[in-house]
Amino acid sequence: MRQIFYLVQKEFRQIFRDFSMVRILFVVPLIQIFILGNAITTDVKNIKIVFQDQDKTPYSREFISRFVHSEYFKIIGFEENYNRLSSYLDSGKASLAIVIPRHFQRDIVLKDKPDIQLLVDGVDGNSAGVSLGYITDIVQKYQERLIESSPDLSLQVKNVRRVETEPRFWFNPNLESKLYIVPGIIALILLIITLFLTSMGIVREKEIGTLEQLMVTPIRSYQLVIGKIIPFSILGMLEIMISMGFVYLIFGIGVKGSLPLLLFESSLFIISTLGLGIFISTISDTQQQALFIAWFFMIFSILLSGFFIPIANMPPVIQHITRLNPLRYYIVILREIYLKGTSFKDLIPETLAMATFGLCLFFAAVMRFRKKLG
Amino acid sequence: MQPVISVINFSKSFGKTTAVKNLTFDVEKGELFGLIGPDGAGKTTTIRTLVTLISPDSGEISVTGLNVSKSIRAIRSITGYMPQRFSLYPDLSVRQNLNFFANLFEVPKKEIAERRKRLFKFSNLEPFSERLAGQLSGGMKQKLALSCTLIHNPVVLFLDEPTTGVDPVSRSEFWEILRELKKEGVTILVSTPYMDEALLCDRIAIMHEGSVLAMGKPEKITGLMRNHIYKITGNDLVLRSDVFAQIPEIISVQSFGDSLHLTFPPGFSDEDVRIKIYGLIGQELNVERIAPSLEDVFIGLVEGKIGHAN
Ligand SMILES: Nc1ncnc2c1ncn2[C@@H]1O[C@H](COP(=O)(O)OP(=O)(O)OP(=O)(O)O)[C@@H](O)[C@H]1O
Ligand SMILES: [Mg+2]
Repeated sequence: MRQIFYLVQKEFRQIFRDFSMVRILFVVPLIQIFILGNAITTDVKNIKIVFQDQDKTPYSREFISRFVHSEYFKIIGFEENYNRLSSYLDSGKASLAIVIPRHFQRDIVLKDKPDIQLLVDGVDGNSAGVSLGYITDIVQKYQERLIESSPDLSLQVKNVRRVETEPRFWFNPNLESKLYIVPGIIALILLIITLFLTSMGIVREKEIGTLEQLMVTPIRSYQLVIGKIIPFSILGMLEIMISMGFVYLIFGIGVKGSLPLLLFESSLFIISTLGLGIFISTISDTQQQALFIAWFFMIFSILLSGFFIPIANMPPVIQHITRLNPLRYYIVILREIYLKGTSFKDLIPETLAMATFGLCLFFAAVMRFRKKLG
Repeated sequence: MQPVISVINFSKSFGKTTAVKNLTFDVEKGELFGLIGPDGAGKTTTIRTLVTLISPDSGEISVTGLNVSKSIRAIRSITGYMPQRFSLYPDLSVRQNLNFFANLFEVPKKEIAERRKRLFKFSNLEPFSERLAGQLSGGMKQKLALSCTLIHNPVVLFLDEPTTGVDPVSRSEFWEILRELKKEGVTILVSTPYMDEALLCDRIAIMHEGSVLAMGKPEKITGLMRNHIYKITGNDLVLRSDVFAQIPEIISVQSFGDSLHLTFPPGFSDEDVRIKIYGLIGQELNVERIAPSLEDVFIGLVEGKIGHAN
């Protein structure tokens, strides 16, 4: 015990010896949350639309007016000639063309499904998908309005349900992507800070030779490992609190769910990042190597976490690989607790998966570390 | 009495390189023993094996009677090891480094301050106790490293090239400390590439490419040299080793700054050398027979040219 205490004390002395570490702890989350939260936004604003209204009825005009009032769209004009529509897209004057068919009003009134035709500039697949999401949302709201004023409710309700479920699955309710992104950023910050600190911290001792000096003392290797993971876990927890503070200050987003649960899940996640950090330290001899390898693992786990690329869009083989990635579960857990206030009971599958892979990684890394020490 | 350090037929290879081959030596209690040899001789490998950091490929190695492969923790708690490279925390102060290692070695809390004071007396580091270790001079760093390896009162001390890269004054101070420790009964194994430091040891082993070329008291080793060595001094222009190498009987020519050391077989007198030189360059030079230095012996041993009694 005494030896572990002094190992931890030493680690904190080194971390807080100069101000740079404190700066890192505060500046990294501040910048990441501010820049990423605003920049990686899947919101697409001011989508330029050209309309062709073949119906020219009150219903069609009412439909178009819904786009006028949306901040996501900007109507650049109306085109009478159907064949000319594609030139708007080709020249980039518009990224979306909407064609309202001739019998739009009649079909709605007769409870038939009208076919609205969309021409989308698909170059930026992501934006295109997002635009479609917005349109679906507008169409859906438009339908809801119609139902309210319709006397024949029972028939319409079926229709509405069908439309409602699909788009809602993909986009958060008020189409505010910040809300969706920010918990993910907190997860990334925690990953980066703990992974880099651990791997660099251990390799640094290797590099300056103190690891060898520690090894000729009678301390046992498990004490050495504990002496390393205690300070880095504490820093990780500190970092997550700092990040949540910034998220609240910058975006006004607070934790909906239980804070203790969030911290508990975070500590489970940290086990995997510390394990990975220890593993990296066993395969690198210099801090520079450790940096590169940590970078490599970081990119991999972020790409395979569903943060940037939805997991459902990945090839099936890759989708299976993502199941091994603790970050994947942690982002979901954090999002659930943060935005929805989900309870532990509903997070058990993710928690179990994350903890299992995290612990496996951790113990494998520690075994390797001890073997390396000899 | 059982030796404190016992190495019998120790061998160690790293892949294809044989670092140490069939090394055998003993160190008695209270002895100051030197491993002397150039780069790559196998000194570090031997010391790291003795402090249980690497395991031997073969051989019987024990420290205070404890086998290095079996009693790892027991050996670690009674030995002190100072690696070749400075390896303390540069971002902790002198005092923090000392306290840290004292605690890892489980020195009783009450004794730490007193031991620190005693070590400060040895090392004169007291005024710098709050300075960061990374900001000490080379000599002070070595003294701090030594202090950290002494904090738990080890009975055996392993020092790997402790004075390499340290200024001459600090070097002699450092050896002064070693002699003090020896007086207290600490057994010390030190490695060094410096022949002049070898003379300060009780006994030395001269190592080269993983094997021992000679072992014993330094005087005995210089006595191994049977060939005669002559030091010649004179005009720089004529002191060119390639010229003297043309003498048929000559064994070796070594250049030492402003002089040359010429080695001739036993029986070659001052007069013979003078005549040879005159015959070669048509000039009288200052010729003086000198006692062989360890360096001469080492070179002679390596080249197999120490001569044999006729
Ligand atoms: N970990 C290792 N891996 C591979 N080769 C090694 C290793 N350690 C030592 N060697 C090799 O073993 C040989 C002996 O090395 P060692 O470090 O014991 O020599 P040394 O006498 O301490 O030399 P120096 O004066 O350079 O410190 C050298 O050829 C070295 O390259
Ligand atoms: Mg060495």
